Amino acid sequence: MFEGIAASKGIGIGKIKLIEECELKFVPKHIDDVEKEKLRFENALNKFKKDTAESAESIRKNIGEKEANILEGHIAMISDPAMNSKMMEIIEGGQCAETAVDTVCDMFINIFSQMEDELMRQRSLDISDIKTSLIKILLGVENVNLSQLESGTILITKDITPSMISQIVKDNVAGVITEIGGTTSHAAILLRTIEIPTVLSVAGITKQVKDGDVAIVDGNDGVVYIRPEEELLSKYKLKREEYIKKKIELKELVGVETHTKDNIKLKLYCNIGTPKEAKTVIESGGEGIGLFRTEFLFMDSNHLPSETEQYNSYKEAVDLLSDKTIIIRTLDIGGDKDIPYLGLKKECNPFLGYRGIRYCLGNIDIFKIQIRSILRASAFGKVKIMIPLVTCVDEIRAVRKIVEDCKQQLKAEGIEFDKKIEVGCMIETASASLIADILAKEANFFSIGTNDLTQYTMSVDRGNQNVTYLYSAFEPSVIRSIKNIIDCAKKQGIEVGMCGEAAADELMIPLLISFGLEEYSVSPSLALETKSVISKWTKKEADELADKVLKLSTKAEIIKLLQEYKK
Amino acid sequence: MVSKVIKITDEQGLHMRPATLFSQAMAGFKSNVQVKHNGKSYDAKSVMMLMTACIKCGDEIEIVAEGSDEQDVLNKAIELFENGLEG
Repeated sequence: MFEGIAASKGIGIGKIKLIEECELKFVPKHIDDVEKEKLRFENALNKFKKDTAESAESIRKNIGEKEANILEGHIAMISDPAMNSKMMEIIEGGQCAETAVDTVCDMFINIFSQMEDELMRQRSLDISDIKTSLIKILLGVENVNLSQLESGTILITKDITPSMISQIVKDNVAGVITEIGGTTSHAAILLRTIEIPTVLSVAGITKQVKDGDVAIVDGNDGVVYIRPEEELLSKYKLKREEYIKKKIELKELVGVETHTKDNIKLKLYCNIGTPKEAKTVIESGGEGIGLFRTEFLFMDSNHLPSETEQYNSYKEAVDLLSDKTIIIRTLDIGGDKDIPYLGLKKECNPFLGYRGIRYCLGNIDIFKIQIRSILRASAFGKVKIMIPLVTCVDEIRAVRKIVEDCKQQLKAEGIEFDKKIEVGCMIETASASLIADILAKEANFFSIGTNDLTQYTMSVDRGNQNVTYLYSAFEPSVIRSIKNIIDCAKKQGIEVGMCGEAAADELMIPLLISFGLEEYSVSPSLALETKSVISKWTKKEADELADKVLKLSTKAEIIKLLQEYKK
Repeated sequence: MVSKVIKITDEQGLHMRPATLFSQAMAGFKSNVQVKHNGKSYDAKSVMMLMTACIKCGDEIEIVAEGSDEQDVLNKAIELFENGLEG
């Protein structure tokens, strides 16, 4: 078994085709005929632009517009006056074109790879691709033709470039293995888009294999088997079938309403941390946003984000969601989340300290900016305000007063907002759960945050290795707490959702269906699976199982029973 | 020589795509155009140099143009930043 980086999901089984590329080494030469060398460089440049445009066109046809644009960006980069003139200068100084390309590309790779911004750092990968292609052309190394591979090929190569992938006929390639590369490279993105199982960065793999060897590529776990035993091979063939079956099942669920087996309609929402993710929510079958964390706005900035900055972010998400619900959680800092410029003091007991709504009510000026921004964005869609870490009724009353003040201000300024905007609570503390009946009279909705609810109910710091064994949402106390919260919400007739990890847990879902949870908010990558689990249960089956679970005394018994009944 | 200070409002800052659009527009003019940011000067016609400047949302940049069509190129630059460079 060889380990690498899982870069594209799925399981591939097939025969190896090893692509051995010549080393792109060159000996730097001194050039006497500068004009001739310049011409050689320009010819290489033109060939690069022509090849790249062709690859981009092929990618546009077979993979997608966005992926093609990335490759076309390479043409813009190499045509850049700064890059071009620096290369020319080096050639004019009497050095060969290879040295010019190598030096200038390395200079930019160096600059970009040190940038703080992740998107900018990725530009160094573009330049690295450009450099490889250009030097290949200069050295006269022909690209291997990958368009004629036999069906069921496992492609093994030292490194794979976007232009190589543009030649691949998807149905013929069962998997890809390389010696170098990471998950954020363009090649990895392309392989994920065309869904070819891929494991990258498998050290020394090209030296371990020969053409025709059978190989297994496990893109889920990032492992590779060469010449596997018959037993392992059958095991993986089964795994592959299951994976494909599940993938097809899940794809059929995009755009389908979320409902139980006996057709009780439920809501499947997603949790997001940046406005851009709102797009992935729609793509992955989410019907709204149950938790929009706003901390990113404050954490990614070196100053307090202004009303305009916040408004722009919230509105971007609202626009992407069009008429779907979006629940915006107000700033939830403190605890383990620090923001340097706010000057929070270090606390001995941060999880029991100045965090969540406590901080906001102590810094009303900061809080009002956020409330005004959310209100302004609410004019364009279905926005709700959610308060984190509520422990008593006074907190929700105080927030309501601030929201009213902000509404009055906006009205006076002639700015639009949703006059009926709902204000709800996260229920994630033991106290909030115990007074859920009281809170339900004053909040428009509840959302259960199971991560903190478990932590506070079990009195366990989930970061502390010595006590994490106690941290489980399947503890009888946590399950009772969840049931109580849902009961209280239903009695008062307000909507109740869950935005913690438990909402996507296949063992927890039947209990939630039985208790009557209406809205499940999960990470976009788990949306379809959650939808699929929900669709397998009827209310009656869930009720029978829940009755049994509520009679059990320990977490271990509960999990064992839920495992047995798992669908 | 003409110049103007502009505040970047695009949430992404001056990334690949906006920087490409901006530098391509600038390349159509004869004047020398520089973007000043944090005390350094960058060639506005070079997308690579603009990206190395790492210009973020909220940053202020100064656009300095010098040449026969300096006022035209400055007006174009202002127009581009005001209308947003994403489109």
